[in-house]
Amino acid sequence: MTEIRGTLRFILNDSLVELTDISATRTLLDFLRLDRHLRGTKEGCAEGDCGACTVLVGRVSGEGIAYESVNACIAFVGALDGAHVVTIEHLSSPTGPLHPVQQAMVEHHGSQCGFCTPGIVMSLYALWMRMPEPGRQDVEKALQGNLCRCTGYAPIIRAAEAAAGFGRPEEDPLVLERSGMVAKLRALQDGSRIEIGEGRARLIVPSDVEDLARVYAAEPEATLVAGSTDVGLWVTKFMRDIGPLIFIGNLEQLQGIEDTTTGVTLGAGVSYTRAAQVLARRFPQMAELWHRIGGEQVRNMGTIGGNIANGSPIGDTPPPLIALGAKVTLRKGSERRTLKLEEFFIAYGKQDRAPGEFVESVMIPALPAGEQFAVYKISKRREEDISTLCGAFRIFVNDAGTVGMVRIAFGGMAATPKRARAVEAALVGRPWSAETIEAALPAFSEDFQPISDMRASADYRMLTARNLLRRFHLETTGAGQRLERGAA
Amino acid sequence: MNITFKMDEPVGSSLLDHTRQNVISRPIDRIEGPLKVAGRARYSAEFKFPGMVHGVLVGSTIPAGTITGINETRARALPGVLAVVTDYETFLRNPGQGLETEAPAQGVREIAYFGQPVALVVAETFEAARNAAGALDIAYAPAEARLDFRALQSEARPKESSQKSQGDLDRAMMDAAASIDAVWTTPSQNSAAMEPHASTALWEGDTLIVYGAYQMLSSDRQQLADALGLAPDKVRIIAHYVGGGFGAKLGISQESVAAALAARALNRPVQVVMTRQQVFEATVRRSETIQRVRLAAGADGRLTGIGHETITANLPDEDFSEPASASTQFLYGGEARRFGNSIVTLNQVLSASMRAPGEAVGMLALEGAMDELAEALDIDPVELRKRNLPPRHPMDDLPFSSRSLAECLDHGASAFGWADRNPRPANRREGEWWIGQGMAAAARSNMLITSSARVTLGTDSRALIETDMTDIGTGTYTILAQIAAEMLGLPVEAIDVHLGDTAFPAAAGSGGSFGAASAGTSVYLACKRLRETLAERIGATPEELVLSEGMARRGNAAKPFSELVTEPLVATATVEPGKTEENFVQAAFGAHFAEVGVHVHTGEIRVRRMHGTFAAGRILNEKTARSQCIGGMVFGIGTALTEELVHDTRLGTIVNHDLAEYHLPVHADVPRIDVVFLEERDHAANPLLAKGIGELGISGAGAAIANAVYNACGMRVRDFPLTLDKLIAHLPDPDAVQP
Repeated sequence: MTEIRGTLRFILNDSLVELTDISATRTLLDFLRLDRHLRGTKEGCAEGDCGACTVLVGRVSGEGIAYESVNACIAFVGALDGAHVVTIEHLSSPTGPLHPVQQAMVEHHGSQCGFCTPGIVMSLYALWMRMPEPGRQDVEKALQGNLCRCTGYAPIIRAAEAAAGFGRPEEDPLVLERSGMVAKLRALQDGSRIEIGEGRARLIVPSDVEDLARVYAAEPEATLVAGSTDVGLWVTKFMRDIGPLIFIGNLEQLQGIEDTTTGVTLGAGVSYTRAAQVLARRFPQMAELWHRIGGEQVRNMGTIGGNIANGSPIGDTPPPLIALGAKVTLRKGSERRTLKLEEFFIAYGKQDRAPGEFVESVMIPALPAGEQFAVYKISKRREEDISTLCGAFRIFVNDAGTVGMVRIAFGGMAATPKRARAVEAALVGRPWSAETIEAALPAFSEDFQPISDMRASADYRMLTARNLLRRFHLETTGAGQRLERGAA
Repeated sequence: MNITFKMDEPVGSSLLDHTRQNVISRPIDRIEGPLKVAGRARYSAEFKFPGMVHGVLVGSTIPAGTITGINETRARALPGVLAVVTDYETFLRNPGQGLETEAPAQGVREIAYFGQPVALVVAETFEAARNAAGALDIAYAPAEARLDFRALQSEARPKESSQKSQGDLDRAMMDAAASIDAVWTTPSQNSAAMEPHASTALWEGDTLIVYGAYQMLSSDRQQLADALGLAPDKVRIIAHYVGGGFGAKLGISQESVAAALAARALNRPVQVVMTRQQVFEATVRRSETIQRVRLAAGADGRLTGIGHETITANLPDEDFSEPASASTQFLYGGEARRFGNSIVTLNQVLSASMRAPGEAVGMLALEGAMDELAEALDIDPVELRKRNLPPRHPMDDLPFSSRSLAECLDHGASAFGWADRNPRPANRREGEWWIGQGMAAAARSNMLITSSARVTLGTDSRALIETDMTDIGTGTYTILAQIAAEMLGLPVEAIDVHLGDTAFPAAAGSGGSFGAASAGTSVYLACKRLRETLAERIGATPEELVLSEGMARRGNAAKPFSELVTEPLVATATVEPGKTEENFVQAAFGAHFAEVGVHVHTGEIRVRRMHGTFAAGRILNEKTARSQCIGGMVFGIGTALTEELVHDTRLGTIVNHDLAEYHLPVHADVPRIDVVFLEERDHAANPLLAKGIGELGISGAGAAIANAVYNACGMRVRDFPLTLDKLIAHLPDPDAVQP
């Protein structure tokens, strides 16, 4: 029988927080600002877009702690059990010297109105800890999720590049105290389930995945929360009553990454950031897409399982995963079933998931030798933007130069992420040539009837989808090159 | 000691050129920087008082009509809810315009736009208030709404005060060797300051104290007092730090009045923070514009006629209209001239001033037209502009107070490498990119606004500046300290600057690029008065007096302040605009250059580099000024390429009411930007000889980018923002020019 604990425990800066009365939907930002009066962390949008609320969340990982930037505005306090939360107030005392990152920001004039500044400092702090002397691209990536309206960004980037000159991570308190903090966080892990509150307001943190299976089977109306990059907005923007909440973000069994010759299996709780390394190695064609999902904070929080389970018609990950033939494993109680990812998406907002059933893992088969694969994200703003459409292509061209196998999937073209079966049929068995491509283009209209909305017109979507097939053909036949960042 | 100075005559010289402390103009770090990077600068939503409760505004869900009833039952039944505050007469319909001293439009029973705040739900906690806000049942009698700007443009009514005409423009167009007559359109935009609008209101007896995120406290105080029927001295507004404004916080907004009413009703402090959606839906926006620009020129490139007519939108009974031709009227010559605005009445959120109202979008049209004219006449765009600089204002016949535009054009062209540009469009290809270069002039009017400050020289050789001026990220704290340090011979560290409180002398506030010069002049004048006293005390004339290192000197005689100042010395100074405003055209000028890449297959546009050379009189702090220009140029990138507020013409909603889909430029959108300031002094502007700089960077920046896009791929897009869908169907044959 699982022990039940009625207290949520985590460490905030240098003090232990124990909460016995906390709303399941209390965001970390409101907790910091309203309950703890730590007003250094700002609210600019309450939906994970601007980064003014960036804080660090550290969790025990192996022998150390991995500190990652997160958007406090859409992170729930309920997800923090056993974590170390670090806010801007922890970087320097009112009477002591500024932190090196802060000093660099002052001297390089990286702060004007100051409202985005604490969030930017925290993003740069996370970067500086793991990479004291970053390149320009590293800085930009670390700051993808931080908007600024005053500075024009250049002074901030200069500050990031200069931070190492003001101090080294080896002397940083967070680094120096790491082993002590590991011990403190370990001491908080007692293997119990956490339950706080009553009825629909209940907050549940299962002790492990077996416990999750039990709890969810008994509470099929509950909402599962992993990274909360989507569910957070259900609360802060749509004011939906989504209780009770079951927090699964820190269940170790959902964090597994299996990298074998047959493929990569990712636990449903693996974040975009954690998946990035293995995916970049096994599927280098996905690397660019991965860097353009949300901003750094969203990638640190958001999970592959959540992206699949929520079934957005756009969803950044389903198109490449469908094209690669990924399979999703669902679990209810002790029952498991595995289906092709494309079959999981039934209609707009509707997935093949029974009450009480949850996504446990996704398996991405290795790309067989000789096959070619690419994925393209089209968005208006390069970073931190929702895909207008996302297209993924996988093909095997046999020795005779004809298409032996082809699999194409799109997001943003239909009510769900969807395969282009008619286009595939028009390609397979034919020569992989410009003529075949042109002849296959009309088939797009059989597969897709995209809508016009603010992001793009139906015509634009259709034209671009067709052009992406052309582009894939050009790239696979050596005529083209990758579209690189910047025009330089 | 109180003194008032009116700017009636150009000043001969400024003490700042003689004090030789090497403090003014230096690029020192902003003095409040350490507070900001540590998260210790406190903004309006960050004050907490005993018993404070939280209010959440509830907005209308229809764009036009009347409220027939509000049922509070469900909302009141929720735990923690204290009150549903409604006051149909007193609530603000919309925010105020800048510098207005009367209350903005009041009365919310009639709905004028979607999202108009109609009630405030107050609860013990923010979450309880937010939940209850969603449970407030409001019944409406909807009315037909006016929502489609382009469809209604024929109903635009002229704004009489904006109509100006000289000569016969139609004739000039007919007789011209080359002419341009085209229409440019720009979309609705939002300032999108990072800090949402917020007020914390509390009553001390019959005095209201509001911690409000506002730019212009002295006029905001009058607006707020008028809205609540109070005497202005019964209202105090505090805004030590403001998280950006860009025009959106010039006047008071709805949350302050609602918070004040709720605080009075409940006898508890009330904090109201707008959501990001409410900032988009219910504060202010820059109107969409339809601009017709006409240029007539002789074969020598000299303009013979110029017209710039603009249609904008606003709420019923609001007469602000984006003055798109503001700088067109004096930037270039040409005998025949016609300018004017007209307004379409729309049920869309208030149109008001966003950074550089007028030039920010007007220069897109004017400088785009000049680029087209240069091509038609086969004259270099830089040269065309230089040829058309009028010796005096073309209509008012007034002299320019200072104008280094030709120098900016020359310097910028040289620094950017303009001479290497290929004037033939779609003729330079690098890899998969068409490369193009474009330029535009920059201009933004300079103003002086009545402003007061008190400077106290203490017995401890420190000086204290007090004024209700704000620092919205511009650098006010720092430049005021620099002015005082320079004038008083003290280190910057010995100057304390207290801003953002109407308990201090009333200042110009932050807006219209006038804040630094206006508030700075008041500090300068007060310090000048203190210098006179110190001169007397050591028996020197003001001319003989030298202040440095906390010592007053006359020749070889020197005395420390500690001996001269045994009681604190206080001087309060006020500067007022005077006749130089009527007798001179005053503006800051500059030149923008941009290089872009347009992708040969997709039409994606990437800015590769930008250069701006500016002349704005004395630069008070080279670092804060540079940042203002860079930030403005990045606004220009947004204006040219990404920013567009999308209004649903059926429902009246704003489709992209969040920072995810209202696209500010992000880090990766911003290339290398170089900014150069030319040395200049403006003797008619103010005793600092400085001009405003906060909006100069945006004025013309987007046009340089658009002109570069044309040079890259040969496509003229006059419908902003320039997104790839407007290019993709017309891209040139990628194989015409090989990389």
